[in-house]
Amino acid sequence: MTAVSTNTQKYWEALKEVMDPEFPISVVDMGLIYDIQEEDGVIDITMTFTAVGCACTEWIQGDIEKRLMEETEIRQVNIEVVWDPPWTVARLSPEARKRMKSWGVSSR
Amino acid sequence: MDQAEVLKEKVQEGFMVEGIDDMNEEYLKALKQTLTIVGDTELLSVPPLLTVYDQAPTLNNKITALAIMQDEIGHAHIAYRLLKDLGEDTDGLLYSREPNRWKNPYAFDFQLSNWIELGVFNALFDRAGYTLLGDAGQHTSYGPWRRALVKVDKEELFHLRNGEIIMRSAMKDPELRGKVQEAVDWMFIMALEFFGVADNLKSRSQQIEYKLKGKTNDELRQTWLSTAVPFCESIGVKVPAHYDEETEKFVLDVPFPCKFDVENKKWLFDQPDTWDNVIKRFKARGPQNQQFVERIQQGAKELEKLRNEAVS
Repeated sequence: MTAVSTNTQKYWEALKEVMDPEFPISVVDMGLIYDIQEEDGVIDITMTFTAVGCACTEWIQGDIEKRLMEETEIRQVNIEVVWDPPWTVARLSPEARKRMKSWGVSSR
Repeated sequence: MDQAEVLKEKVQEGFMVEGIDDMNEEYLKALKQTLTIVGDTELLSVPPLLTVYDQAPTLNNKITALAIMQDEIGHAHIAYRLLKDLGEDTDGLLYSREPNRWKNPYAFDFQLSNWIELGVFNALFDRAGYTLLGDAGQHTSYGPWRRALVKVDKEELFHLRNGEIIMRSAMKDPELRGKVQEAVDWMFIMALEFFGVADNLKSRSQQIEYKLKGKTNDELRQTWLSTAVPFCESIGVKVPAHYDEETEKFVLDVPFPCKFDVENKKWLFDQPDTWDNVIKRFKARGPQNQQFVERIQQGAKELEKLRNEAVS
């Protein structure tokens, strides 16, 4: 029997704890996560990076995998990196914008 | 009360200095000295990192290292820009200053031996920078610097975490474990020296009196130890310090300061030293001081030469 998770909210919440290494804003608030699917303990993440030359692609993927594996039911994390649609600053959450502004960093 | 006392009292009560009109000569001098140390430290962190960045195990690791160097140059730019606003000739500072006049830490006058040392550099030396600048960011009375440090603080944390990742993953590799320990063995004490002479040897500090920084050298050393020691121990790296329950402080298990064998990058723990001698060693500079400063000045000097040739 296959358990298809219809509610992936808890994984979105979990990834809110995974911070972008360069500025401590979560990968969710950065708008890097496009989709999360979970089925029978296998989680499929579709995500992007802010740039093809992002300095931290392996680092971020490692952190995402580590955090999701902390969920007891998860036994495998698959990450698919896509470049379409491309990331733009429009994907930053209002929370991310607020924090960047407080640090004096432009989010435009 | 004289003018200096009035200013000292004002800044201690929370007054923010925003421009030269708010300062006296003494404040301006102490501020310029502090910003020169900061700018030089940021900029001269790059040449040692460059000595091993091409040994990065993956392309993404290499790009991370380059992003860190770019940050450091950006931080240096902030400090020099502030100096320029204070009337300093920053071109002169950057391109005409003799190598031994630069104020970067002694620890940055050494080339690194391998990629692991780059990790330890980030984890221990950037942690020292993070400690010092974090304190300035919280306490400094110079408004323009305090605001600029908000961004710097976040980026230094990125460097520190990069170092921790490199060290942690190397400790899981039997072939690399020894290299981590070797690097920490010389770099741990080096990082402690960043914070300067012991408090009991300093009669007064204008940096503290004018609130350019908040904590004393020894307090900052304790702050650094309070995260560096637990981190190293958590990944199985031995460090010559431990937490003393009785005094509620970190104490060193080796003489500090002590003599350093420059050639072999080894601390001579059987030869305790004085801070006077340490300062002499700092002033005599480390082995790559000249080479690293020349590397920084090379482009400007070559361009100047070309320009002169074109004119003559």
